[in-house]
Amino acid sequence: MGDADMSDVIIKDNFESAPPASAWRDFWRVFFRNKVATIALGVVLVIVLVAIFAPFITPQDPYDLRSLVLRDARRPPGFVGANGMHYLLGTDSQGRDLLSAIIYGLRISLEMGLIAGAVAFTIGAIVGCFAAYAGGRFETFIMRLVDVQLSFPAILLAFVVAALLGQGKGQLILALVFAQYAYFVRTAHGAASAERQKDYVQAALSIPMSGWFVITRHILPNSLPPLIVVATVQVAAAISLEATLSFLGVGLPPTEPSLGMLISNGFQYLLSGRYWISIYPGVALIILIMAINLVGDQVRDQLNPRLRK
Amino acid sequence: MTELLKVENLRTYFETERGTVKSVDGISFEVRKGEIFGLVGESGSGKSITGFSLIGLLDANGKVQPGSSIKLAGREIVGLPDQELRRIRGREIAMVFQDPMMTLNPVLKIVDQIAMAIRAHEKASDQEVRRRAVEALARVRIVEPEKKIDQYPHQFSGGMRQRVAIAIALLHKPKLVIADEPTTALDVSVQADILKEMKALVAELGVSMIWISHDLATVSQISQRIAVMRRGEIVETGTVAEVLGQPQHPYTQGLLDALPSRARPGELLASATTESSGPIVLDDLAKTAPKAADGAFVQVDDVDMVFERAVGRVGRFTQKFGIGQPSHAVHAVKGAKLTIAQGEVLGLVGESGSGKSTLGRIICGIYTPTAGNVTVGGRKVREGQRKLGTGVQMIFQDPYASLDPRRTIFQSVADGPLAHGLTTRRDARAYVNRWLKAVAFDPALADRYPHQFSGGQRQRIAIARALAMQPELIVCDEPVASLDVSIQAQVINLLIELRRTLNLTLLFISHDLSVVRHLCDRVVVMHHGKIVEEANVAQLFEAPQQPYTKMLLDAVPKLAV
Repeated sequence: MGDADMSDVIIKDNFESAPPASAWRDFWRVFFRNKVATIALGVVLVIVLVAIFAPFITPQDPYDLRSLVLRDARRPPGFVGANGMHYLLGTDSQGRDLLSAIIYGLRISLEMGLIAGAVAFTIGAIVGCFAAYAGGRFETFIMRLVDVQLSFPAILLAFVVAALLGQGKGQLILALVFAQYAYFVRTAHGAASAERQKDYVQAALSIPMSGWFVITRHILPNSLPPLIVVATVQVAAAISLEATLSFLGVGLPPTEPSLGMLISNGFQYLLSGRYWISIYPGVALIILIMAINLVGDQVRDQLNPRLRK
Repeated sequence: MTELLKVENLRTYFETERGTVKSVDGISFEVRKGEIFGLVGESGSGKSITGFSLIGLLDANGKVQPGSSIKLAGREIVGLPDQELRRIRGREIAMVFQDPMMTLNPVLKIVDQIAMAIRAHEKASDQEVRRRAVEALARVRIVEPEKKIDQYPHQFSGGMRQRVAIAIALLHKPKLVIADEPTTALDVSVQADILKEMKALVAELGVSMIWISHDLATVSQISQRIAVMRRGEIVETGTVAEVLGQPQHPYTQGLLDALPSRARPGELLASATTESSGPIVLDDLAKTAPKAADGAFVQVDDVDMVFERAVGRVGRFTQKFGIGQPSHAVHAVKGAKLTIAQGEVLGLVGESGSGKSTLGRIICGIYTPTAGNVTVGGRKVREGQRKLGTGVQMIFQDPYASLDPRRTIFQSVADGPLAHGLTTRRDARAYVNRWLKAVAFDPALADRYPHQFSGGQRQRIAIARALAMQPELIVCDEPVASLDVSIQAQVINLLIELRRTLNLTLLFISHDLSVVRHLCDRVVVMHHGKIVEEANVAQLFEAPQQPYTKMLLDAVPKLAV
């Protein structure tokens, strides 16, 4: 047996074949295997598209008071109005087409949820990673602060902040962020502490790379998976929190009718048989939150190495 | 001798997302009564899966394929219902795993773990259980077994834990014990003891054993017959003398050639002379190499390292009033003194807990010593992580952990030189490519991510990353310990070549004496945080002065052919 023969045998064993398809494509392949999650993702996408293109889709502009016919107020679903308008889901107490109102409500709810989620995500990721990297008193201080905050229910914090700041989109986003950033800090800190101990971080520090470089290029990117999972859950939570606050009257002003306010408006008619004014916005809210959570569940299952097959 | 176990055409396939993985693909062998049968192979060869198949402990997606046959004392066990299998498991076939930390439940006393194993198959009173537990521990030479059975696993050393695991495996006097890398996680001196005891136990109890290992030397010492596995198949089987003495298959020959203990020190190892990923290209890098100079280029003076256990404020308070535990300091390095000349490779040898890694990290500047100081080229290695100079670089043990999974190979290698002005953004490509070529890594693959490469390739990337900083000293912390022998040979060859042309100064930390002998000029032996002996390689291996060094050298398993 010749030399070449021998080395050939061994080398083939030790060098892995061509790299597998990209992790991104793999992710979606596994994702689409779960039918429920795929449908939920479709629902979320449809809702997002509908919300973005609301002005082109809705039969009526619910903000345009001229288009409202007061005579058609509180009409049941399927009612055909005086001007020939077909109210698919009925009308509310101002004669507003409920379908249009819900679509615009979804738009506002999604906007609030996404912006608040994104801001909380950013703050949480940065603060959490820095705390894990810095260690010592800074870490202790930040994490105990977060612990204290987590011991209050989010709704209570949001309620207090919203009540203090008054009504308005910006104020509400602030309230939502304040109620939720702590979850992101906790998660980021946990993930970053684990990464901090790993050899590649030690390797970078021994080169030596600056702390800023290590945090932004090494620790943060590697801490993202759990943060993304928390983000999906927290966006859904932010939307329901916003709806709750609006329902209670400390959320958005009446000029920005979110789903919560629509539900609240119809609340007084619920027992008089005009169920649709409250129920349909409620159903829309449930579908949205459920769809986001189902997507989030699947993402969590896929990103959690412990649950991986 | 009659055969106890007869395996015929065993095929174990795993269904994964990427299709069927044929982990074990049609192997046949038999194990005789009272025999130790060695199953050797590199990682991924299917040797462990063979063991798990025999005992029926495969993951849910793995399946022994129809047509396979496993006969234990004449009885077919493939296709037996789970309940039957469970009766066989532990009673007739027992298993010992690699990591004794993982196999023992940390919250249960030893006696309770033994009780569980006993009661899985028979009824026994508490007294009976205690009596048998003491007996079982005594059998594996654990001193004071009456006291030891009431302790928890964390109070045991690694070797003692593995002894307990063996004791549990032998409880029901099984016909067959499957030991999967049982001594791999242990120090050589402990390994030597356990090998001896296992041999004696097998003879005493008349059990048969399958000894699964990647280490040819230990297998050759303990077993009578062996099988060499590769990619799910057995390539060669026979007595130790036959297979290792006159290997018939090129793969077996290659495995033997890759062992540094069989080559002359400093020579390139045979099995890896042709590199699939291209030659080592050093261009004009050799010109930058410093001239060899005598004297102490690296100087370590009376370095002490004490790790205080963090007790916190409450702990300090309670200590003051004598109700807390006294603070527990670990003296990892005691008065270490050593020098390395320019262009020299110094081996730092010791068993686990000897303080060798700590000393390496001090020299690298990752840790600041409690006392003493380290100078490289006359300048002090500065304290603290961020202010550390670029003159000392480090290569870590685990190439899977030491590269950031989310940065490309190019980024990983370029980060340091860019941050320290060794190259500019415009020239970074060419700069990085030069160093990648120096470690025989194809620069065309530089934009891929670490997970797409094997352990050996990753370790070469890590070496390129260290070289690219143009360090004065490279600290290698067990750089080949987690690699398979043939990959290990490639990395060792790379280090030899680089060292020759670039005149590198290396501190080579290792527990593997054969690698150290092959690669180093001088060796320092550490024991319990102290440097016990320092000598030239030839001198140390031929005429060790200290009893500890002698013991260490004797304990190294040698290929028994």
